[in-house]
Amino acid sequence: MNKTTVSAFLLSIAAFITPYISHAQRIKGSDTVLPLTQELSEVFAEDRPDAGITVTGGGSGVGISALMEGTTDIAMTSRRIKFSEKMKLVQAGHEVREYIVAYDALAVIVHPSNPVSNLTREQLEGIFRGKITNWKEVGGNDAKIVVYSRETSSGTYEFFKESVLQNRNYMAGVLSMPATGAVIQSVSQTKGAIGYVGLAYLNPAVKAVGISYTADGACALPSTETAMDGSYPVVRPLYYYYDKKMEKIVAPYINFIESPEGQSIILESGFIPKRSEK
Amino acid sequence: MKRLADRTSKWVFTVSGFTTSAVIILIIAFLFTESAGLFSTPIVEEGYVLAVNSSNNVKDLNTEQIKNIFDGEITSWDEVGGKDMEIEIFRLEDLEKIYTVEQLGAEYEHAGEKIAEQIYANPGIIAFIPESMIEGIPDIGFIDDRNIRIKDVLFGREWFPTATPSPIFGILPLILGTLWVSFFAILIALPFGISIAIYMAEVARPEVRKVLKPVIELLNGIPSVIYGFFGLTVIVPFLQNTFGLPVGESGLAGSIVLAIMALPTIITVAEDAMSSCPRSLREASLALGAGHWQTIYKVVIPSSISGITSGVVLGIGRAVGETMAVLMVTGNAAVIPHSILEPLRTIPATIAAELGEAPAGGAHYQALFLLGVILFFITLIINACVETVSSRHKTQA
Amino acid sequence: MEEYISPSYGKRKKLMQAAAFICFRIFSYTIALTLFFILGFIIVKGIGVINWDFLTKMPENGMTEGGIMPAIIGTLYLMAGSAVFSFPIGVISGIYMSEYAPNGRIVKFIRTMTNNLAGIPSIVFGLFGMAFFVNRLGFGDSILAGSLTLGLLALPVVIRTTEEAFRDIPKSFREGSLALGATKFQTVMKVLLPIAMPRVMTGLILSLGRVSGETAPILFTCAAYFLPKLPSGIFDQCMALPYHLYVVATSGTDIEAQMPIAYGTAFVLIMIVLIMNIAANTIRKHYEKKTSLK
Repeated sequence: MNKTTVSAFLLSIAAFITPYISHAQRIKGSDTVLPLTQELSEVFAEDRPDAGITVTGGGSGVGISALMEGTTDIAMTSRRIKFSEKMKLVQAGHEVREYIVAYDALAVIVHPSNPVSNLTREQLEGIFRGKITNWKEVGGNDAKIVVYSRETSSGTYEFFKESVLQNRNYMAGVLSMPATGAVIQSVSQTKGAIGYVGLAYLNPAVKAVGISYTADGACALPSTETAMDGSYPVVRPLYYYYDKKMEKIVAPYINFIESPEGQSIILESGFIPKRSEK
Repeated sequence: MKRLADRTSKWVFTVSGFTTSAVIILIIAFLFTESAGLFSTPIVEEGYVLAVNSSNNVKDLNTEQIKNIFDGEITSWDEVGGKDMEIEIFRLEDLEKIYTVEQLGAEYEHAGEKIAEQIYANPGIIAFIPESMIEGIPDIGFIDDRNIRIKDVLFGREWFPTATPSPIFGILPLILGTLWVSFFAILIALPFGISIAIYMAEVARPEVRKVLKPVIELLNGIPSVIYGFFGLTVIVPFLQNTFGLPVGESGLAGSIVLAIMALPTIITVAEDAMSSCPRSLREASLALGAGHWQTIYKVVIPSSISGITSGVVLGIGRAVGETMAVLMVTGNAAVIPHSILEPLRTIPATIAAELGEAPAGGAHYQALFLLGVILFFITLIINACVETVSSRHKTQA
Repeated sequence: MEEYISPSYGKRKKLMQAAAFICFRIFSYTIALTLFFILGFIIVKGIGVINWDFLTKMPENGMTEGGIMPAIIGTLYLMAGSAVFSFPIGVISGIYMSEYAPNGRIVKFIRTMTNNLAGIPSIVFGLFGMAFFVNRLGFGDSILAGSLTLGLLALPVVIRTTEEAFRDIPKSFREGSLALGATKFQTVMKVLLPIAMPRVMTGLILSLGRVSGETAPILFTCAAYFLPKLPSGIFDQCMALPYHLYVVATSGTDIEAQMPIAYGTAFVLIMIVLIMNIAANTIRKHYEKKTSLK
């Protein structure tokens, strides 16, 4: 018994100390940008077997603080860097560069059986701030509105608040889901539900509604086309941040994203390429 | 040589024996250090100030008032003790709407002057701007920036950790949510858990027991993510349809999932306690003419009550601290729960969902560590309860 | 005493007993059914996905295709890593409590502390791991930090089983050994440890089963969403099955396509737990047979 234990120990220790440390590029941050980055880096690495890219999520905030501590080379975020974070980076001796990878449209989704198919920004604000609580107030059935949101610190939550709620706060009683998949799951099985998800996540289990920001009430349904031609209003940029010193090292990867191949991957993944911006 | 080995080993054993104590002290120390800064953090986001026109006599606002002003709920200064004039909200982004990029400068170098211009021009303005931009500019009034107060955190009824300009960290709804969902979980799990433990330890035939025991042990090993996913796809829709609820993600869904998760713990510990009840006690009872059931509840249960209690309490502990499953099924609405059929939000779920996005070292990060401290003490209290219950019982017996 | 043998009481007694037992039986079967339903749900949905490619390939195409090999490897690394830390410390502490602690008060104190540690929620371990191992000791998000965090989580189980295993050894073994002139250390190592080993191993294996399924402690200390390469050292991050399941089930771009992968991952995870349990039971049975022969 003793010998087997000892050998089991040695084995596991040996497995641990495989002694080389690679200096691959590390990208860390927002879970929204993550699937896209992963696709991009997979294809990027295919042609360049020596250029290993490690992609990890955790959130926009995690990405930025990892950049500060030097544990990542690129921080990906679904929100612009906060002023306080920028100040901290400067204090830590980093000069950051901002790069917009792509744009992401946010779709407002409801249960497929919901007759409401268009909403104005004011109506959405009322719903998410708890001023409108019944679907009949916006032309639907007499049913309670169940509001789903992402958790408070996600970039998606922030952007929706900025754009749709005009920086006002959500009502306290919104249901906040840990991830986009959970929002879709819940909205698809709750009759009175409303929620928001990235365009790339839209699927037939939920119904997207048209949104109008203008007074004339012209509504546009979310799609890459409407987002590209500017008729769909809820569109946000997705960012990479990196240290200026790393510029040369990340350049091949960024060039790849800018290339037609990279741009078509962005489009295929359900995001809006930067090139076609308005 | 032998003596030396004996002594060294004794020393090593002693040191190692106190590892757990050391770990607990370390955990407390680190949770506290990481959360300590919260109450010396100003209420307005770091690096920012709330500037007003120098003629404005309002100098003091609390977090709630700030939130309501920026939400457009409070529209006049006289509602917060000032003059009767309309509040005009100004954010940094508004600069770009008023001035061109050329006017502001490429690196925002003229932004300070332009902000000051706005503040001078509007007596009712409240501007949320970076402190560094208006450094050294005269004749600007400021809202006094006091620190976050313990009272506002512990008894605050609202949790808006990312609200700007001033986040609100009222943890009362989270604490109540955690206790509420765990209480119902145990209420559901208790009758089942104890019955099954009795059944397995006393009633079931050996073959049945042989099947049940590994199944229950295996269930203990099922990762909470799986329970969460099962809850979201099966239990939530089921509850919604059965009770005709507007929303299925609720405290009850959480309680049911937690009850299932706590069951193996309760059953295993309680059953072990009953099985280890000495055979002689049982035989004595039966020999005195007591029936099987009488023996169980007059002899076996009392003699193993401390084991049963610790099983139940461990189950509560598991429910209170459970993270992933609860995160997926309770809906996470940070409101004080009025009924178990409403969505609610627990402490562990909040930590797991928000820590990833909270800027390290910021007030939100510290608030989440504070939640960790509270969770830690809740479990500590629970453990202390087991200790007292079981030791009291021992002295009585 | 008189009352107990009165016939009417006897009848009522029997009725009570029958009612109680039926009640227990119904409860037990309901729960057993629920439990089998959950297990069956995952096994039925997951088993179809399992094939050699699924187990040995990297995730592909944004995790909508390919396998889960790095997550399996990562989980194995974390299990091994946590065992390296929790096993020696846990066993030594257990032995201290059973054999060396000078008096009952100290044992009681340590036992209380161990119970407290066992009761700490896994998310608090995650917070601590992030504050201490990741930030203070500067390990960063890494296998090392994750293993240490999980090791702390596993520690109480190992300590408890070791202590119990040693305590159950009859006093005569110790007395015999000491009477033959062995030192206490020799007695512990040569006489007691071999007897207690099977049960200690059982505890270790069960704790590893728990470690393999934990998500919250590795959320902020180790787990990676996707890595194109296997980790090359203990300072690398790794993927892990439970976190992979969480990610695939809740935050992919194409939830329909990822569902089978989620079920497959759940299936593999449950299989690991199952294998761990069977291993522990086999050792336990082996040991029980051995002692009954004596």
